[in-house]
Amino acid sequence: MNLPALDARLLYAILLAALAAAFALALGTGPVALDLSGALAAAWRDETSIEALILFDIRLPRALLALVIGATLGLGGAALQGLLRNPLAEPGIIGVSNGAALGAVVVFYYGFTGVAWFVLPLGGLLGALLAVGCLFALVGNSRSTVTLILAGIAINAIGGALIALALNFAESPFAVQEIVFWLLGSVANRSFDDLLIALPFMILGWGLILYCGRFLNALTLGEETALSLGFDVAWLRLVLVLGVAASVGAAVSVAGNIGFVGLVVPHLVRPLVAYEPRRLLAASALVGAILLLCADVAVQLVSADAEMKLGVVTALVGAPFFLLLILKSRNTLQ
Amino acid sequence: MLQTVRALALALLLVAPPGAPAKPDRIVSLGLCTDQLLLLLAERAQIASLSSWVADPEMSYLADAVGDIPLHNGSAEQVVGFAPDLVIASEFVGSDAVRLLRRLGYEVRRLPVATSIDQTYRQLERIGEWTGNPERAADVVASMRARLAQIRARYADRPVRRVIRYAPNGYTVGSGTLEHDLFAYAGYRNLAAEMGITGFRSISLETLLAADPDVLQIDRRLARGASLANSRLEHPALARLAARRELLDIPTPLRICAGPMIVDAIELMAARR
Repeated sequence: MNLPALDARLLYAILLAALAAAFALALGTGPVALDLSGALAAAWRDETSIEALILFDIRLPRALLALVIGATLGLGGAALQGLLRNPLAEPGIIGVSNGAALGAVVVFYYGFTGVAWFVLPLGGLLGALLAVGCLFALVGNSRSTVTLILAGIAINAIGGALIALALNFAESPFAVQEIVFWLLGSVANRSFDDLLIALPFMILGWGLILYCGRFLNALTLGEETALSLGFDVAWLRLVLVLGVAASVGAAVSVAGNIGFVGLVVPHLVRPLVAYEPRRLLAASALVGAILLLCADVAVQLVSADAEMKLGVVTALVGAPFFLLLILKSRNTLQ
Repeated sequence: MLQTVRALALALLLVAPPGAPAKPDRIVSLGLCTDQLLLLLAERAQIASLSSWVADPEMSYLADAVGDIPLHNGSAEQVVGFAPDLVIASEFVGSDAVRLLRRLGYEVRRLPVATSIDQTYRQLERIGEWTGNPERAADVVASMRARLAQIRARYADRPVRRVIRYAPNGYTVGSGTLEHDLFAYAGYRNLAAEMGITGFRSISLETLLAADPDVLQIDRRLARGASLANSRLEHPALARLAARRELLDIPTPLRICAGPMIVDAIELMAARR
C-alpha cells in the first residue's frame, strides 16, 4: 500500500514549497500596500520605521500564528479521525474547540491571565479535556457516526451557550461583542506575545500526537489487534487526547474557534499518503497551515479595515465539503 | 385572560398623562447625555429619575451632582414606575423602551445627536425650552461661546498638529462627529477624516501606523476588565508608535457627550499643541 519513499519526500518538498509561498503571500497582504523587498530594505536601515513595524510587529506574528494554528487543527483533525476511526471527527465539530474557547474565555475575562503566562492556554487545555471527556462518556467505544455527530452537536451547543453566558457576566463592556471572536476565530491584531503564550503548549501537543503515529496505524485494524500487537491502548489513547487538548486548547486560547480546517484537511491529504494514519499526521499539519494562511489572506482581501472573521471563510469552504462527505458516505457508514 | 390584558392596558392608558405640561416636574432621562443636560439645566425638583450611567465618574462629567436623584437601568417598566410627565432620550438610545413608552401614551421627546459645537448649543437651548428653563440654557451657551473665543485667541500662534484617535476595537472618529469638531476647534487636523472616514469606524493597526500621526489619542480608561478590544490597544506595534509620538489623553467624560464640558476638552487639547 505504501508509496515509494521518493514520493513521500517529493510530497513533503511540494508541501513545504507551497507553505513558503503561502507564508510570503500572507506577509505581503494587508490593508496598507507594502512592497516586501522595499519594506525589508527600510527595516534594515531603520528598525523603527513604519514599514518595519507593519512587517515585523503586525504581519509576521499574524502569519506565524495562522501557520501554527492551521498546523494544529490539521494535525488535531487527523489524530481524532484516526483515534475515533471516524471520518467526521474534528476538534471543531465534536465540541473540543468550543470547550477550549470556554476555558480560555473564563480565564481571559475574569482576570486570571495576570497570574502567570501559561494560565490562558492551560484554561484552553482544561476546557478541551472537559469536552473530550464528555465526548468519550457519550460515544464510548461506538463507531457509529450518528452517535458521534449527536454528541458533538450537544457538546458544541453547551460550550457555545456557556461562552455566551460567561461573556454576558464579564465586567468589560466589550465582552458581549467578542462572542463572535471566540465562536468564529481570528488572528487579526495578534502579536508575538500571543504566539509565545500558545507555542509551548502546541509543541507539547504536537509531540504527543506524533508519538502516537504507529499506534494509529495499528488502530485501523481494530482495538484488539492493536492490543495484540503490544500497544497499550488505554494509555496511548490518553496520550493522544492530551496531545489534541494541549495543542488545540492553546490554539483556541489565542485565536478562538476556527472550524472545519481539521475536518477537511485529512480528507484532502489521505490519498496522498496512501491512507496511512501515521503519515497522514505530518502531511495534514502542513496542509492545515497552508490552508489557514490562505484563508487569512482571503479574509484581508475581502474586507481590509473592518475584518471578517477567519471562521467565516473556513466554514464557507468547509461546510459544503462536510455536506458532500455526509452524502457520499451516507450508505457506507450506516 | 384576553379581557384582563385589555383592561390592564386600558387602565395603563388612562393613568398615562396626555402630552407634557409647559414646565414638567417629573422628568425622566433615558441616557447619559440627556442625564447630564437635565442636571445642568433643569431644577432638581423637576427631575424624577436619571439613567445609572450618570453616576459613573468614568463616564459622567456630573457624577458628583447626582446626589439622591433615583437612578434607573433603562427599562420601560422602571420608567413607568416614576410616572413621568416627560421622558427625554437621545436619538438611538433605548429604541425599544421609547417605542413601548410612546405606545403606553407617555410623552417622549428625542434629542438629535449633536455632531458639532453649533448643534451642541442648539441641544442646550432645546432642553432649556422643554424643561421650561430657557434663560439657564442661554447663560450656559453664552459662557461657552466666550470661553471658546478666549481659548482660540490664547493658542492661535501654536502650530497645527496631525491627530488620530484610536479607541478599543480600533474605532476612530471621522468627519461629521462632535469629536472631529473638537479637534478642529482645538487646532488639530484629524487624519481619519482626511482618509475619507465619516462617523465612527474601525481602522486596522496597519492603517493607523501608515497614517503616522504626530499625536495619538488613545482611550485606555474606557474599558474596564480584560477584553480583546483592549488587548488591541496593548499591541506592541502600537506601543512602539506611541513611544515616539505624543499621546493625548482626554478624560472620557469631557468628550463623549454634548455640553459645556467639551470646552474643557478643547482647552486641554489646545494647551498640548
